[in-house]
Amino acid sequence: MRTYLIIALRNLLQARRRSLLLTSALALVTALLILLLSVSAGFNQTLIRNTTALMSGHVNVGGFFKNKVTDAWPMINDVAKIRKIVEENTPGLDFIIDRDRAWAKVISERQSMFVSPSGIDIQDESQLPEVIRLAKQSEYLEGGSDQVLGNLANLAKPRQALIFVAQAKRLGVDVGDYLTITASTGAGRTNTVDVTVAAIAKDFGFMSNWNLFLPKADIHDLYQTTDDASSVVMIYLKDPDQAEKVMGHLRGVFEKEGYILMDHQPAPFFFKFETVAGEDWTGQKLDLTIWSDEISFMSWISQALDVISFSLIGILMIIIAIGIMNSMWISVRERTREIGTVRAIGMTRFRVLKMFMTEALLLGFVATCLGTLLGTLSALGIDAAQWQIPSEAVRAILMSDVLHMPVSAAQMIHVIWIFTLITGLSALWPAFRASRLQPVTAIHHAG
Amino acid sequence: MENIVELKQVVKEYPLGKLTVRALSDINLTIEKGEFTVIAGPSGSGKTTLLNMVGCVDTPSSGSVTVRGQRIEQLGDRARTQLRLAELGFIFQTFNLIPDLTAAQNVEFPLLLQGTLTKKERQRRVAELFELVDLTPQIKQRPNELSGGQRQRVAIARALVTQPGIVLADEPTANLDSVTGLNIIDLMKDLNQKRQTTFIFSTHDQRVMQHAQRVIQIVDGCLSEGAPAS
Ligand SMILES: Nc1ncnc2c1ncn2[C@@H]1O[C@H](COP(=O)(O)OP(=O)(O)O)[C@@H](O)[C@H]1O
Ligand SMILES: [Mg+2]
Repeated sequence: MRTYLIIALRNLLQARRRSLLLTSALALVTALLILLLSVSAGFNQTLIRNTTALMSGHVNVGGFFKNKVTDAWPMINDVAKIRKIVEENTPGLDFIIDRDRAWAKVISERQSMFVSPSGIDIQDESQLPEVIRLAKQSEYLEGGSDQVLGNLANLAKPRQALIFVAQAKRLGVDVGDYLTITASTGAGRTNTVDVTVAAIAKDFGFMSNWNLFLPKADIHDLYQTTDDASSVVMIYLKDPDQAEKVMGHLRGVFEKEGYILMDHQPAPFFFKFETVAGEDWTGQKLDLTIWSDEISFMSWISQALDVISFSLIGILMIIIAIGIMNSMWISVRERTREIGTVRAIGMTRFRVLKMFMTEALLLGFVATCLGTLLGTLSALGIDAAQWQIPSEAVRAILMSDVLHMPVSAAQMIHVIWIFTLITGLSALWPAFRASRLQPVTAIHHAG
Repeated sequence: MENIVELKQVVKEYPLGKLTVRALSDINLTIEKGEFTVIAGPSGSGKTTLLNMVGCVDTPSSGSVTVRGQRIEQLGDRARTQLRLAELGFIFQTFNLIPDLTAAQNVEFPLLLQGTLTKKERQRRVAELFELVDLTPQIKQRPNELSGGQRQRVAIARALVTQPGIVLADEPTANLDSVTGLNIIDLMKDLNQKRQTTFIFSTHDQRVMQHAQRVIQIVDGCLSEGAPAS
């Protein structure tokens, strides 16, 4: 009824200071929530982009091979056949690649560190060259030049390595320097290859700390495997959200094809060596994972972001709810005579309730819309400005140099209706009390 | 003539701390359709309490109140609200217009609550009433832009817009100067004659009483009919 809206609007305008205060408080909290959600969404987008570029497909078909019970080689044999099965049986397939994976120690003249090298065929990699940004010399070397020295194309030759800035700093190496890579090949033996640093790329937060890229041939040398072996077939889907479903489907397909599958364990492959080495079997087993499994040890970051956001917003929202309730109480008290009048004239209790609820919901709706607009504009502004994150730690955690802040329409709509609902709920009790006012006491009320 | 209001042995007591105040004691009163009745008495005598009974906004402590054939002490809140909306018009001492609405919107308000007329019909009815109370030029103004007399005219229009059987007015002239007050009484009397609407109003003003067709005296919650003792 239009009259409710008019009365509600006029009442809000009349108590201008109070309404304005509440509206701006509610709008600010809404904007803050939009910003926090946006940071969280940005982080998740960065996470999936970095993960799928550096170390995982949306779905992976990896596995382990054991000659002896105590072995644990991150290898799958006859990769061509596996690729073919995947190509023929994956719904919504975009493209696939295969990579070799290892767990090894890199040694420079100064330092050593554990990494997980990936063996790649640079000609096969469609995504990697797009996401890798080579670093200027000054980024990893004090007093270095502003020139980019390396070249990704060098990875087409054997005995080359693509490393990241943090690794270059730690190892103290530049493009053209040598590194030694050693890997355990079981039973206490190790193998070694020497490689040249072909290029140094910008970090992907701390995710790139343990990633390193070599030509496939180098990994084969390291593990002394044949060329028809690989470690993982990485499957990229048109819709990444289908990853889990596709993995389930492929498990069925491979089982039917006679492969033995490991139980699904949401962990990266390099966490599985010890378990596999301790298991009592030999031969080949496949291990299917999805991208989030490969970085499961990082899920605490998005959980922490969410916990921080929601507790902050929760506290602010409680304060606002109290504010709204209080403001409604004042409004009910101020308008006791008016309520009595309309009740006497013949307004039902329910309609009085509706009148006050309209007022609260109107305020809530306008405020959250304004807040959402403000939050969205700020988020888009920050996103467009490519604002550099000043803190190294935050950069490492968010895995990005700039703050990436996407806002989705679904998010905006959710925030608006949830906050409007909360406003309504906080107004419910005062509105209910208003509706229970007796017309006679309301008429007698002084004022 | 139809008995539009009937009070039988009505007692109303208010608790006041440990005591009870008896605002009405053993009231018997019958009002016929089309009467123009004044309830006269000094302040605190029980006028408002009595009108609240007739107006279905309050229920008696004992006794029975019948309005338009309905025993109001037996009705629930919803039914009483419905009865007020359909059968009663209220005019208050302090006008009690809704400050947020224009004069026209105030008058339209009870029609919106009834929800039976179309927008066109409502507008016609509102315009008609503004003409009746001689306030057409002020139709778009807000209550705070109107004088006391004008506000009470708007209130009268609001009370009459639903064409109720009974209009109750609790000291409608108390907040007006005497000339304006008498004008308002004249207007009500005029409407009473033109439309056969039953008017019951209270006052403690001697001059106002003289305009009434029937005067009911109330002192300390007890009734006595007849001309005021002066
Ligand atoms: N809500 C109430 N609570 C307690 N006493 C009341 C209440 N309303 C009226 N009274 C008492 O009842 C008596 C009659 O009051 P009222 O009907 O307002 O008189 P009038 O309208 O003639 O001035 C007074 O003594 C008044 O104090
Ligand atoms: Mg009174």
